[in-house]
Amino acid sequence: MSSVEQTVPAQTAKPVARLSLLPRDWRAQTAMGVVLFLGAVVMLAPFLWMVATSLSRKANSSMPRTPSLWPPDPSFFNYWVATANLPIVKLYINSLFIVGTTTVGYLLFSSIAGYAFAKGRFPGKTFLFIVFLATLFIPFETRMIPLYLFIRDFHLNNTYWALILPFLAGGFGTFLMRQTISTIPDDLIDAARIDGASEFRIFVSIVLPLCKPTLATLAIINVIWRWNDVLWPLLVTSSRDMYTVTQGLALAGKSSGVYTGVALATAVMAILPVIVAYLFLQRYVIRSVISSGIKG
Amino acid sequence: MESGSKTSPGDPGSLRSRLARAFRGTMVWYSFLAIPLFLIMVFVAYPTALAFRDSFFTETPAGPEFAGLYHFRRLLTSGIFWGALGNTILLGVAFLGITIPLATILASMLNRLRRGSTPLKVIYFLPQLTSSVAVAIMFNYVFQPDWGLLNGTLHALGFQQLPLWLSDPRLTFGGSRAAVTLLAVWAGLGYFIIIVLAGLQSIPTDLYDAAAIDGASPVQAWRYVTLPSLRPTFIFLIITGSIDALSRFGDLWTLGGPGGSPARSLQSVVMFMFQQGFESNDYSLAAATAVVFFVIVLAITLFAFRGFLRNEFKAIR
Repeated sequence: MSSVEQTVPAQTAKPVARLSLLPRDWRAQTAMGVVLFLGAVVMLAPFLWMVATSLSRKANSSMPRTPSLWPPDPSFFNYWVATANLPIVKLYINSLFIVGTTTVGYLLFSSIAGYAFAKGRFPGKTFLFIVFLATLFIPFETRMIPLYLFIRDFHLNNTYWALILPFLAGGFGTFLMRQTISTIPDDLIDAARIDGASEFRIFVSIVLPLCKPTLATLAIINVIWRWNDVLWPLLVTSSRDMYTVTQGLALAGKSSGVYTGVALATAVMAILPVIVAYLFLQRYVIRSVISSGIKG
Repeated sequence: MESGSKTSPGDPGSLRSRLARAFRGTMVWYSFLAIPLFLIMVFVAYPTALAFRDSFFTETPAGPEFAGLYHFRRLLTSGIFWGALGNTILLGVAFLGITIPLATILASMLNRLRRGSTPLKVIYFLPQLTSSVAVAIMFNYVFQPDWGLLNGTLHALGFQQLPLWLSDPRLTFGGSRAAVTLLAVWAGLGYFIIIVLAGLQSIPTDLYDAAAIDGASPVQAWRYVTLPSLRPTFIFLIITGSIDALSRFGDLWTLGGPGGSPARSLQSVVMFMFQQGFESNDYSLAAATAVVFFVIVLAITLFAFRGFLRNEFKAIR
C-alpha cells in the first residue's frame, strides 16, 4: 500500500513541475534565441559587408567611415577588374580537377586498403596497418620541405602531378574505411566467396555500396581540405596557369591589397562556390564533421 | 611443393592446388595494398625520413656533411625561432581559452532551443568552410583602423579611442595578436559548436531526470551534469585544437607574409620553417624546425591520448 501511495504523487508531481516551468521556460527560450541570433549576426556581418564592398566601385578609392551593408554605387566593376587580373576560369578548372582526382583517388585507395586491413588474412597485416596508422602522427609540415625537393628533382613542379600525387593515399582515410568495413558481417563476404566472386568483385559490388555514408564523409572532408589548401600549392606551383583558386586568391589579395573592392571581389569569387555547395549539402557536411571529428 | 606431395601421398594434387589457392588468396591482399603502400612510402615515409636526416647534415657543394646537433643548437639559440614558437603557443592558448567556453555556452543554448536551431547551426559553421586565406583577406579589411567593419561600427556607436589592430605589433588587447585571435575564434567557433553539440546529444537523459528529481535548477543541471559529461569532448577539442593551432599558417601568412609582419608579431612556427626553407634556402635549419615541430605534436598527442585513455578505461571498469 505504502509503495502505491509513494508512486502516485511522484507521477502527478512531474507534469505539475513542468507546468510551473512553462512561463520561465518561455522567457529562457526568448533570451537564448536573442543571444544566438546576435551571434549569428556577428558571424554573417563580415560576409555581407564583403559582398557589399565588392560591389562598390568607390570602395577602391574611399570607404565610408560608417560601414554599410549596401553598396552606394552598385556595379560589377571590381569583378571585371578581378577577372582581368587573374585567369579565374582557369583557376576554377585547376581546382576542380585537382579536388576531383584527389578525392576519387583518396576514396579508392583508402577503401581498398581498408578492405584488406579489415577482412584480409595475410602475413604482416598488423605491421603494415601500424605503418599506415603511424602516418597519422606525421604532420604535413614535417615532411613538406623534403617532399618539395623530391618533387622538384623529378621536375614535377608546375604540373598537376605535384598537386595530386602526394594526396592520393593517407592513414586517416584508410583507418576510417577499415573501421567501417570491419562492421560488415563476415558471412556476407563468405557467401559471395562461395558463389565464386573474386575479392575485387566483392569489394566493388558488396563492400563499397555498404560504405556509402563513410565514403560521403571522406569525400566531403577531402574536398574541403584540398580546396582550401594553400601551403602546398604555394610551394610547387609558380606559374599563374597552375594556380588553384585559393592560391590565386592569396597572391591576388597581396598584390591588389590597396584596391579594397577588387581584392574583396576576388575573395567573393573564390568562396562563393563552396558556400553555395555547402548550403545545399549542409546536412551531410555537418554530419560528416560529427562522425569523423575532422574539420575542413 | 615436392616434399609436400611426398608427405601426403593420399592426395598430392589437391594439396598443391590448395597451397596455390592459399598463395593466390594471400597475394590478392598484397595487390590491394600495393599502390596505397607505395604512395605512403614515397610521399609520407620517405620525406619524413629525409627531414630527420637533413636536420643532422649540412649541404655543401661536395655533398652532405654530417653536422651532428649543430642545426638544433642554431635553432634553439635563435631568438626568432623562440619568438615564432611563443607566438604560436600564445595564439593557440588564447584561441582555445576563448573558443571552448564560448562554444560550450552557445551549443548548450542551441541544444535547448526549440525552434530555428538548424539555420543557426548552418550560419555558425559557415566560416569553417571558407578557406583561411579568404578569411584573412576579409579580416584584413574588417580590422582596417579607419573604416574597417569593426572600427567603423565601434565609431558609429560612439567610441573615440579605437585600436589599430593589425598595424599594432604590441601585445595588447587591440594589437595584431588580438586581431588574429578574434579572426580565429570567428572562423573556428562553428566547428567547436558542432562537436560540443554532438557531445551534448550523447549525454543520457536519465542523468537530467535524476537531477530534476533532486530539485536541481536548469543552471545547476548544466553545471553538475552537462559540464562533467562533456569531459571527453573537451579533451578531444584540446588535442585537435592544439595541433591545428601549432600548424597555423594560411591566415597569418596572408596577413603578414612569411615574416609575420608587423614586427614578426604574427610569425608562427610553420611560417618560420617556410621562411628558412624557401627564402633563406637554409634547408638544414628548416629540417631541424620540422623535427622539433614533429616532436612537439607527437608529445601533445601521446600525452593527451595517454591521460585520456587511462581515465576513460578507469571509468568503464
